[in-house]
Amino acid sequence: MSSHDHPGARRQTVAEWLLTAAPFTWLFILFVIPTALVFAIAFKPSDPWGGVGAGWTLETVRSLRNPNYPAIIWRTLWISAVTTVSCIALALPCGYYIARAPYRWRRLLVLLTVIPFWTSFLIRIFAWKVLLHPDGYVKRALVFLRLADADAILLYHAGTVLLVMIYTLLPFAILPIYAAAERFDFRLVEAARDLGASRWRAFRQIFLPGIRRGLLTAVLMVLIPSLGMYIIPDIVGGTRSEMIGNKIAQRTFVDRNLPHASALSASLTLAVMAPMLWVLYMQGRRRGETRP
Amino acid sequence: MKWIKRWAGLLLLVVLVTGCGRDRQTLYIYNWADYIKPGLIREFEREFDCRVVLDTFDSNESMFARLRAGARGYDVIFPSSYMVQIMQQHNMLLPLDLSLIPNIDYLDPDYIGLSADPTLAYSIPYMLSNAGLAYRADLVTDVVPSWSMLSRSDLRGRMTMLDDMRETIGAALKYLGYSLNTRNEQELEAARDQVIEWKRNLAKFENEQYKNGIASGEFLLVHGYNGDIMQVMEENDQVVYLIPEEGVSIALDEMVIPQGARQVELAHHFINFLHRPEVAAANTEYVYFLAPNVGAYELIDEEILNDPAINLAPEIRARSEVIEDLGEHNALYIRIWDQIKAAN
Repeated sequence: MSSHDHPGARRQTVAEWLLTAAPFTWLFILFVIPTALVFAIAFKPSDPWGGVGAGWTLETVRSLRNPNYPAIIWRTLWISAVTTVSCIALALPCGYYIARAPYRWRRLLVLLTVIPFWTSFLIRIFAWKVLLHPDGYVKRALVFLRLADADAILLYHAGTVLLVMIYTLLPFAILPIYAAAERFDFRLVEAARDLGASRWRAFRQIFLPGIRRGLLTAVLMVLIPSLGMYIIPDIVGGTRSEMIGNKIAQRTFVDRNLPHASALSASLTLAVMAPMLWVLYMQGRRRGETRP
Repeated sequence: MKWIKRWAGLLLLVVLVTGCGRDRQTLYIYNWADYIKPGLIREFEREFDCRVVLDTFDSNESMFARLRAGARGYDVIFPSSYMVQIMQQHNMLLPLDLSLIPNIDYLDPDYIGLSADPTLAYSIPYMLSNAGLAYRADLVTDVVPSWSMLSRSDLRGRMTMLDDMRETIGAALKYLGYSLNTRNEQELEAARDQVIEWKRNLAKFENEQYKNGIASGEFLLVHGYNGDIMQVMEENDQVVYLIPEEGVSIALDEMVIPQGARQVELAHHFINFLHRPEVAAANTEYVYFLAPNVGAYELIDEEILNDPAINLAPEIRARSEVIEDLGEHNALYIRIWDQIKAAN
């Protein structure tokens, strides 16, 4: 710090620095260092006994051109995309109606959205196994309503993975959309209607752009965990629903090839950062536009 | 991970070493969980006036990683046969003094042959397990003792195989009449195509949930380990264990004395003690795995000894194999397994 700084300003800077030091240290130790290690190990050779060899190599990164990966990457992408689109499509009307509901109702509805979090994530996935069991309630109801064959199997499809992922991630889409919708000035929609816009047009051209920030947050909150999903395809997925997360687990625990697992994780991290950087760019550009 | 393991291992050893008694000798054992009858340890402590400290591991690989990371001080370790091979290649084992283990005379010669170390230079067989099939007697008809059960399209979507490349590729290799330790690419490709054909009938590849699944009737036929299935059978008597006649994989766990052991002589006594016929019999009746000890066979409860799930029939045993370490050839299996996982 240079000597011509104002003493008051200096005290403030020190205080600010101390205040940010704790979370910054936390992030540095538990996020930056591990991520850097993952990226570093991706450039190390592996040994057949599960260790990390000495020296550096590009062999591991080259081995990512495994001919079996495109199918898994494609599956991960489409399952994540469909999950995100479905969650947003379901969360939009939910968020809209919660925001428009009378105050007392609003609190109850938000509470109902959050209630699933009171139970362990894992237990809720296992509950789906009970529901979709060949002798379970859902199956029996579907057979009774003649919507399914008696020997239809509801579990262990890509469709099951999709269903449980949408179920699990839906609250993460509802909450930011609701938060944005609550701050939205609904008189703008009324004005659009007065000026002759149809309901749909008012929703599309006034409401949606008005909650854009919440919408983008919701997309990220659903898309990013989807891309790295491991436990849902592991528990309710079948022989053809393996995602990148499952491959990383296999490379780590079964093949004991840590460099390869690290290379996969690093690619996934980069893939997850891409949509985030895109959002930052979009928000930055938008801010630039609104400035005179 | 490795750092955490290393420090946790060291810390544990410090606690173990400083916490032991002063004058009595202390024997440190490193074994799988629930794999020895607790009463037998107390018996050994009384007889040899020593203390025994038991530490457990859940996979060969984690045990190996911890020793490689520098954990010292264990006197007897119980690795699977293929891991004995790896540990010996890394010079981690002490040669055994067989004059201190006279009870090796009771070892079942059929099973010594399965060991990677049949001359008993570094390891003494402890217990055996195998991986076969289990089915629901109330829901599956026309059962034949063969891996071909996995081709049954009437069970489609209600069957699982282990999510373990050596076990599952191994089952196909056995079905096709090959060795489950083959390094031959054509044989492995044939096995790959066989597993892919079975895969179309499978609900999933599963290592844990198959136990609940077969108990609840969600799955009708599963590929699993005999010890695990025996536990399910205690809950549900409709579950039946089936040994495919083409042969199965046998896992042989052994006892070794690692380099750096402090109580080498006592460790030999402990290994010898576990192969006393009456001790081996009591142990088998408790853990439900077979101790390959001919003297014990006469003492073990008939029902357990004649249970084909625990004690394989001789002709099937002849067709069964122990999974060996493949070293660099592991990469071949990983590639085949990747292709199986990716296939439609």
